[in-house]
Amino acid sequence: MEITTKEYKRLAVMTVTGRIDSATSAEFETAIQTVIEGGKRNIVLDMADVDFLSSSGLRVLVTTRKDLNKSGGRITLAQLSERVQETLAIAGLDVLFESFPDRESAIASY
Amino acid sequence: MVTLRVGQLRAMTSRHLTVPGNLEEIETICNLVFEAAREAGLDERSNYAIQLAVAEACENIIKHGYGGEGRGAIDVQTQADREGLTVWLSDTAAPFDPTRHPVNKPSPRDDPPAGGLGLLILRRSVDKLRYSRRRGKNTLRLWKHRKADST
Repeated sequence: MEITTKEYKRLAVMTVTGRIDSATSAEFETAIQTVIEGGKRNIVLDMADVDFLSSSGLRVLVTTRKDLNKSGGRITLAQLSERVQETLAIAGLDVLFESFPDRESAIASY
Repeated sequence: MVTLRVGQLRAMTSRHLTVPGNLEEIETICNLVFEAAREAGLDERSNYAIQLAVAEACENIIKHGYGGEGRGAIDVQTQADREGLTVWLSDTAAPFDPTRHPVNKPSPRDDPPAGGLGLLILRRSVDKLRYSRRRGKNTLRLWKHRKADST
């Protein structure tokens, strides 16, 4: 898994590639926490190249959404890969997260 | 006269792998399941679903069964046949039946619980699931059927 983060004035865009599973979810969570601790309350997660998402990764997404909502921020998902969509649908969480077909529309939603 | 249709007889192919119970090995197991699922003629969506189920089951074995990484092995066997793919996962951890453990269904309208998603995903990703325990070994059997129009 690789994560690159680009910070803007009002939000951060995090691009994740590879697998988000039990072996990588701690690293995924740390990367998100680092962005939040840096002062960003709005995150766009670009998931176009995520080829595997398991419950470990979903747990991080659910917890992050909850924490950001509490502090007046939000997380949005952009360019969901088919695999990500499939995991979200199986878990019944496909309607929980705001998602956009591309990064630009996700960024523009803020 | 017997007419043989091409593809009617599908050879049964099987694979077998034993890995240490470490989380990074789950990807290795998924790669094996991916190849086995292709041999079984599962479509892409079904292929991913069985990989997901196996990953969730293995994470449970490592974290909850063995109580952590490096404490035991996971044995994986697959069999592809005309109906689809069967996967057996075996371990020597403490007894745990994922087919009977209660699961909280997440509710998108409320704040869903972050826990319990693994078992939910495991059960929803396969067509059939069976647990057995014999001589100190747990075995979980997972089935994923081919769709009727899969080639």
